[in-house]
Amino acid sequence: MKPTLVASLTLCALSSLIIGAAAQDAPVDLVKVGAKTYDTNCAPCHGDKLVSSGIAFDLKRLREDERPRFDNSVTNGKNAMPSWRGIIKEKDLDALWAYIRANAYP
Amino acid sequence: MRIFRLMTIAGFAASCFTCAASAQTAADLVASQKSTKEILTYGMGYNAQRYSSLTQINRKNVKNLTAAWAYGLSDQLGLEAQPLVHDGVIYITNHNRTAAVDGVTGKELWRHNIDYPSETTRVVCCGIVNRGSALYEGKLIRGTLDNYILALDAKTGKEIWKTKIADIASGYSITGAPLIANGVIITGVAGAEFGIRGFLAGLDPATGKEIWRTYTIPAKGEKGSETWEGDSAATGGGSTWVTGSYDPELNLVFWGISNPAPWNPRGRKGDNLYTCGIMALDPKTGAIKWFSQTDPHDAFDHDGVNALVQADIKVNGEAKKVVMQAHRDGFLYVLERATGKFLAVNPFVEMNWASGWDYKTNRPMWTDVYTKALAGEKVEVWPSLTGGTNWHPMSYSPKENLLFINTFNVGMNYQAGDPEKVTAGQRAQFVDLTPIKPANMGYLKAVDPTTGKAKWEIPFKVANTAGTMNTASGLVFTGQLTGEFIAVNSSNGKILWKFQTQSGIIGQPITWEKDGVQYVTIGSGIGGVYAMRTAAAEVTHVPTGSALWTFKLQGK
Ligand code: HEC
Repeated sequence: MKPTLVASLTLCALSSLIIGAAAQDAPVDLVKVGAKTYDTNCAPCHGDKLVSSGIAFDLKRLREDERPRFDNSVTNGKNAMPSWRGIIKEKDLDALWAYIRANAYP
Repeated sequence: MRIFRLMTIAGFAASCFTCAASAQTAADLVASQKSTKEILTYGMGYNAQRYSSLTQINRKNVKNLTAAWAYGLSDQLGLEAQPLVHDGVIYITNHNRTAAVDGVTGKELWRHNIDYPSETTRVVCCGIVNRGSALYEGKLIRGTLDNYILALDAKTGKEIWKTKIADIASGYSITGAPLIANGVIITGVAGAEFGIRGFLAGLDPATGKEIWRTYTIPAKGEKGSETWEGDSAATGGGSTWVTGSYDPELNLVFWGISNPAPWNPRGRKGDNLYTCGIMALDPKTGAIKWFSQTDPHDAFDHDGVNALVQADIKVNGEAKKVVMQAHRDGFLYVLERATGKFLAVNPFVEMNWASGWDYKTNRPMWTDVYTKALAGEKVEVWPSLTGGTNWHPMSYSPKENLLFINTFNVGMNYQAGDPEKVTAGQRAQFVDLTPIKPANMGYLKAVDPTTGKAKWEIPFKVANTAGTMNTASGLVFTGQLTGEFIAVNSSNGKILWKFQTQSGIIGQPITWEKDGVQYVTIGSGIGGVYAMRTAAAEVTHVPTGSALWTFKLQGK
């Protein structure tokens, strides 16, 4: 995982400019990196492959303009949603957001 | 109240007069196994059989079972806890609340709230839950997700003491119920997915002071450390997240030890002691009396913490005092309590990673599924990491010599790539997994302990992740993830009664009596890792929200 992660994080840094504007068209690799981070850290509560049981928030519900809400909740936590400060870095947030937006409800 | 209490435990009056000021002495806890009024321990008695001699509710009249009350816990995250009952008061816990409720009316007597730091749940691998509490000398004792053991005044809910036993930053959390054995509070910890070094701790109930700590992973140079590759033991897992059981005659506590960390086995060659096995300890000192490993060098998160149920049964025609475990790995283990000797090991579900048990070497007979997995190849494994069953406890009928087990019928495609290093406090798995889900993802089975064979089984589309409980009147009670609380005929598996609760059931049923009325109590409130992760698609129409329900016969 490490070599790929480093490689894709570099990629992620390069492509970060276009993420905010058009998440749907995010480069495939960034979505893949996000999927892996999601699978390790988020899936136990939010569901395999973003399929939510409704117990924790359904992340596919996040709208395109909710990136600030996303960043805030992941960094600071909310009720039983843990704070990921110091663990999930800015670049991981970009990748996670890309993965979530690529699978969001229309 | 005092007089009533003395009456209800008249059978053990002798032991109680000597300690008039304090309820729930060590002797009371031993005796409560036979009591129909008091549920003082996790497992409904030290043998953890979850069997009651009550017969007012029986196969004929169970159709008239009706809700007496429901008590809401104002929470969305799931209710796994086994309630306790003392003097007609029910004690219930979840991740952020402890409450005392009048067992007859359902009215709240007190509640105590817990605020844990917001980073806590990051290291909670498997559901934001709590599985229960313990009662001792007027104190209600429980663990918290952020690793405190709390003692509350059972009458008022006021905090008496609070002891921190581990750090969330290092990956630890507590979700299990404490066990009080021979006057010592014993607690386990969770966190084998986060590179902890597992342990059990013994605390003094009077002060909360830690008396002993027994690590499940040897330190460098200690015996057993040679069963780990390099320095992999330091973050070797071996958590103790499900409550064990206690044999007061042998003065032994039995506790299941979880999987090694990380799940990927390829960077920790060796047997990985003392993970994936059953440990017997002296409750006063924490000294290990025996350890019987079920899965040396586990590769599949076949975490060995399942309920440890004691019984006196015949094995190959010989009377034996045994401890039984329906294990995540798919085997039903029957061990001699005094020695830890493997007496009978048979599959109770579909399994393919081992073909049987070798009684000479005391090791599984591994198949090529296991050897290929170690070589990094992609394999299909049964049962999956979810296991043949999981934390949700089975029950045992001494009358019928049957175990009632909610099993999983879920496999996985598995591949362990190149191993990576574990960082304590960070999630470490390093395997690729996809669940294989047949049409029926689980069964309720009535299993013969010495053969593993089912006398009957009921298929369920969505597997049950609730405990089972059974009565002398031949009823088995359990709950479905889709919310139905059910009563089943213990001899043929016919569902005799069903009640749709407001959410999914992942709790542990109990039965008890007061003033000549038999009650059945169960928590409903969907949650836990199986519902959140694996079966998410199957339960999207099950509402969240937790409530404790109590039932009795109509007209009682
Ligand atoms: C231990 C379980 C758990 C884990 C692990 C977890 N979450 Fe959550 N998350 C929750 C719960 C519970 C909520 C609902 C919180 C609430 O509103 O009460 C939630 C809510 C959220 C929300 C919505 C918060 C809002 O603004 O309403 C976001 C975004 C989120 N999670 C992202 C993530 C991401 C990204 C990860 C992985 C890095 C993650 N979560 C891991 C439990 C978890």
